[in-house]
Amino acid sequence: MNKLKLNYTSLSFLPILVCIPLGYQLINNIHFGGFKLFQEFLISAFNPKIDNEIIITVIKRLNETILIGFFSWLVSIIFGAIFGIISSNIFYKIFNIPNFFYRIIRFFLTIIRSIHEVVWGIILMQIYGINFSIGIIAICIPYIAVNSKVFAEQLETIDYKSFESINQINAPKFSSLLTLIWNPIINTFKNFGLYRLECSIRSTVILGIFGIGGIGTNIFLSFQTLNFRELWTYLWSIAILIILSGLIFKKIKFNTTNKILSIFFIAVFFITILFSFSYFLYFIFNNNFENFNSVSSLFKSSSDLRLFDLLKLILETIILSLLSTGIAISLPPLVIGNFNNNSSKIFIKIFAFLLRLIPTPVILLTLLTFNNPSLSLAALTLGLHNAGITSKLLFTNLDSQDKRNYIAMKSLGISKMTSWLLGLFSQQAKSYLAYCAYRSDIIIRETSIVGVIGSVGLGWQLQESLSSFAWQEVTIVLIAYSSIAIVGELINGKIKNSLT
Amino acid sequence: MNNTVLELENISYKYKNDLILNKINLKINSGEKIALLGKSGSGKTTLISVLNGTIKPTQGEVKLFNKSFEELDRKQKSKITTIWQDLRLIEDLSAEQNVNCGLLAENNFYFAFKNLLNISSFKKAHKYMKLCRLHNSIYDKKIRKLSGGQKQRVAIARSLIQESNILLADEPFNNLDPKLITTIKSLLLENVDKNNTKKFPKTALVALHRLDLLNDFDKVIGIRDGKIFFNIKRNNLKKIHLEKIY
Repeated sequence: MNKLKLNYTSLSFLPILVCIPLGYQLINNIHFGGFKLFQEFLISAFNPKIDNEIIITVIKRLNETILIGFFSWLVSIIFGAIFGIISSNIFYKIFNIPNFFYRIIRFFLTIIRSIHEVVWGIILMQIYGINFSIGIIAICIPYIAVNSKVFAEQLETIDYKSFESINQINAPKFSSLLTLIWNPIINTFKNFGLYRLECSIRSTVILGIFGIGGIGTNIFLSFQTLNFRELWTYLWSIAILIILSGLIFKKIKFNTTNKILSIFFIAVFFITILFSFSYFLYFIFNNNFENFNSVSSLFKSSSDLRLFDLLKLILETIILSLLSTGIAISLPPLVIGNFNNNSSKIFIKIFAFLLRLIPTPVILLTLLTFNNPSLSLAALTLGLHNAGITSKLLFTNLDSQDKRNYIAMKSLGISKMTSWLLGLFSQQAKSYLAYCAYRSDIIIRETSIVGVIGSVGLGWQLQESLSSFAWQEVTIVLIAYSSIAIVGELINGKIKNSLT
Repeated sequence: MNNTVLELENISYKYKNDLILNKINLKINSGEKIALLGKSGSGKTTLISVLNGTIKPTQGEVKLFNKSFEELDRKQKSKITTIWQDLRLIEDLSAEQNVNCGLLAENNFYFAFKNLLNISSFKKAHKYMKLCRLHNSIYDKKIRKLSGGQKQRVAIARSLIQESNILLADEPFNNLDPKLITTIKSLLLENVDKNNTKKFPKTALVALHRLDLLNDFDKVIGIRDGKIFFNIKRNNLKKIHLEKIY
């Protein structure tokens, strides 16, 4: 018998083995009581509620969502770029600053982004009460840190010889810095800007589910009242919003040779910075700090969380991340490879879009209609949602790839699936795995959302501790979360470096 | 009168366990045109990098205008310009923006900003690009779209626009055809341009492989295994010297 050889292609499929324990637990937990509800949920997708009242609500709620999503995107992309610059190697080389500071800033940003925006939102809500600004700030905090990582990684690709060359010209240091980073920053914005805007809108929706304004709140309320037709009206309106914002973003030419456009972008840049600072100061000094006493009692409060329970929750969170990552990695190539024809492709693309579109709490609640809450169900939810994202990347890369190998293999009489595997996917496997390594960082953070709803892992404990204002417990859980995320990011970083 | 502009005192440079430069002593006087000969890997590029301050020697001292390199301010250091063997242009910028980068040292941050936005003046850049026989159709082209010879000339124009006193060049005639080599060589080694309007680097140290290009140089330095084997006037160069280094 031939031995299985581990290469990038086989490594992309191997994680699907997580489906064995997952499937076993899911089958054991199945109940048929909610199948009718599930069926109703699916049918409602084709028959959303459309009347004057709901259209007015959609417009009103979408306005809030756009406002929160767009502002948090704009602020986080601009400050992300600034923090990206000061957490990149090139900054420290030009200004001859010891690498020690570079490590401190990177570590600080890693901690910030290790905590999901929902967690930031819930914490801020506990302190300041329900407030429109909470949504923007809750998204901005981790997103600035996430964006800074994206920008810093692009800046790391600057050729060291270009740096030496500019350095040798002996230009003022800020001039050298600007000249070297200008194009990587612009290109990162062009390549990642739209994706980050989509993320921002999705996060706004999720925050809404947790009560922080926008259309997410209505989605959650419709689900609670089992008004699926209304729910789908909201979901389709978000879909239209995401598609429209994509079309508008693609229409804007980020051409830095156009003087008027350049001046406009620079004006937006500085106005956003000034506005953010003034808004932040206003927010800090004009809030009544409803529960601030609870925060100050952090050191007085005691924790009922026992070490054994904490370790169990940490283990659950790690298993949840691993299982979800397994699905997110292997499901897209498996499905795309097996159903490799034009009509199936359209269907898979729509399905993947829906998986990205429907917020994870809603997916989980839908699955809960016919399955008991369990770690496997939470993992399946998170895995499916992220598979929607990884499949988008895989489709984009496969569509732009040279297909000559694939055509040549098919002409030799090799089966369609094998030709796809060897002629197309094998060339993408390495970069696909590298992206999945990055994605798994996000999956670790997202365990907090499904944890809250699915009653598993640290997410659930966090919700419990926050509800009872047990700040010491909250701190312990957050430290545990950050530690898992930091270790995960370190491991994924190593994997990614070995793949690129 | 001491007219030494660049001086190396007992310079050694070690990279990992390899001794790339070995106790080099060298004085370069104002106005000298020096050819640096040596086979690949002999230490020519490292010597140029030490001379322009890009790499710090493991041992010894580099002096510019009789001052240690560490004591010099930015303006003083900018009196040296370098043409690198691998050009080191910024691929995402246009040819004229790259040439304008040579003016960064004498201008402020606002100039760098305007250069990137394409709203700075390119008059001076165009003048030097024209001198380097670059056609105006490539001025606004991104570097990655240019041929090897065009990139070479952009790098030379970027260096010349700095109007520095000292030119260090690492095989600057690569990728150029014979006619262009003559033009560029006269630009690099002569003190004035054809219109007698602009002064070019007075002192030049140029690393070369081709012996037929030695005509316009005053001195020739031979380097092998990181050591200077000879430092003589060009007229005194004999076959025996070349045998020592090749």
